[in-house]
Amino acid sequence: MDGAGAPMTISIMSPRGGTTRAGDADAGPALCFSGVVHRYRSLVALDHLDLTVARGETLALLGPNGAGKSTAISILLGLQHPQEGEVTVLGTDPRSAMKSGKVGAMLQVGGGSGLPHGVKVGELVTMTSRLYRHPSPIERTLARAGLTALADRQTQRLSGGQAQRLRFALAIAGDPELVFLDEPTVAMDVEGRRSFWAMMNGFAAEGRTVVFATHHLDEADAVADRIVVMRKGVVVANGPPSSIKAAVPTRRVRFVSEGADPEELGELDGVDAACVRGSEVVLDSLDADATVRALVASGVAFSDIEVTGADLEQAFVALTGNLAEVHTVEDAVASHDAGSERAPAL
Amino acid sequence: MTGLGTFLRFEVLRLLRNLRYVGITIGFPVVFYSLFLHNNKPLAHIAGTDWKTYFMVSMASFGAMVAALNAGGTRLAAERASGWTRQLRVTPLPSWSYVTTKISASMVIALPVICVVELTGLLVGGVRLGLGTWAVLTVVLWASALPFAALGVLVGFVASGETAYPLVTALMFLLSFFGGLFTPVTNLPPVLRQVADFLPSYHHASLGWAVVAGRAPAAADAGILLAYSIAFGLAIAWRHHVEEARAFA
Repeated sequence: MDGAGAPMTISIMSPRGGTTRAGDADAGPALCFSGVVHRYRSLVALDHLDLTVARGETLALLGPNGAGKSTAISILLGLQHPQEGEVTVLGTDPRSAMKSGKVGAMLQVGGGSGLPHGVKVGELVTMTSRLYRHPSPIERTLARAGLTALADRQTQRLSGGQAQRLRFALAIAGDPELVFLDEPTVAMDVEGRRSFWAMMNGFAAEGRTVVFATHHLDEADAVADRIVVMRKGVVVANGPPSSIKAAVPTRRVRFVSEGADPEELGELDGVDAACVRGSEVVLDSLDADATVRALVASGVAFSDIEVTGADLEQAFVALTGNLAEVHTVEDAVASHDAGSERAPAL
Repeated sequence: MTGLGTFLRFEVLRLLRNLRYVGITIGFPVVFYSLFLHNNKPLAHIAGTDWKTYFMVSMASFGAMVAALNAGGTRLAAERASGWTRQLRVTPLPSWSYVTTKISASMVIALPVICVVELTGLLVGGVRLGLGTWAVLTVVLWASALPFAALGVLVGFVASGETAYPLVTALMFLLSFFGGLFTPVTNLPPVLRQVADFLPSYHHASLGWAVVAGRAPAAADAGILLAYSIAFGLAIAWRHHVEEARAFA
């Protein structure tokens, strides 16, 4: 993969027709960054970031560690002030938006549970709901997060996945128009992630705006209307999952062949990488037509050939470059983002 | 603001439900009072009153301090470590409300602790005071417990989840012993007597000792406690500010 290549910029603005909630007078964007710059000492976390999210959109924020995702979210939540540029959230400044109770958030918690001890699930949801002016009914919040049966359980007795669901319940307790989720499914197993996103989809379908950061590219692909890929504080790709994948020239050629030689296959026209596992062969090609012609001409016996587009992971690698060389802002600013050395790919 | 009342009630309920906390907070001063009541002669004269009354004030002061240091220190440090404080920052609650609610919750708990120790004095020690004196004593000890509440929150901000408990325990021991809550400062070597003059615990109990001896509480004691409250408050504000600046800490 050509990591040194200039990051390609794709700009496909096609936010899904914003299903604005009934009775919502101000129909401006849900949030807007314009020319936002944020530095940590010499490190530039956000480099003139421009980004607009329409109301009702579900947006995934992707990028390697240090791309500026967490900084962007912390600014949107009013936890940090941008050093340059402007940020509006629901037509006002981030802090006022938070105070108005129209914004909910689920933050990363590092090592802890993010929850207070000595309190039952139902009580914590009730207390949090009362901090908002127009909360959802408590039973509804519990049901949405799949916590109805756990309402009487003490928070310290919850499993990791249950604690995560409770933190989600706290984020939506105030019936917010806009929800931020910073790596919401971290440390969840496959089933937990599946049911979490099913939950989230139901919530987003009510016309709410959802912005989430994730390292799980399959989640972004399945859930988001639009994906924004960040690298070194700038947006390098912005569009629906399908266009992001389509914009990457890599194609995947897959077939079955006995005794195939990866060295030989790697020499074929257009092939960028060849992988042979038993009788299964996968070629990553920058010119699938030429590769298939060369494969036929080579006389290698094959069957069940299939050519597919790049998956999101390939697109991500192509867009963000060599992942290993990216230094994380979080690391440089000390251990703010504990345990965030997960590989961005699945 | 309705949110603040809800949050304060939530905090107080969580404290009351923690049996270990309630046990330590009520148990320590009550048990110590009952144990050490007879170490001295209960009727021995001291500072214009008798030992049973003097020591009841000492233990009420000790109880208020134990309540506040444990409520603030250990729990706040644990909540910072768990990420709960950050979650609260992404609610409509004003960012200073976490601190003020913690201090308020400590104060709310301190009042019944003072009353329970007074009741122990009345029933176990046979302390007899006029109704007005009981009332004044309670109010004075309670209101002047503010620096302990602030100190507890400050410890919670300075300490980590692991260091908070030993730090609170050390503070409890140092402040109560050198503040003359167990052994009257007059019985301590002169050097330690001077140390006591610098401790909020000594000045807190002194206000109460004056009340039970029928003297007017000294303005100097109140002034020093106020100064401590302000100093701790400023330190909390500074730590809070540092923590806010590190948005993702």
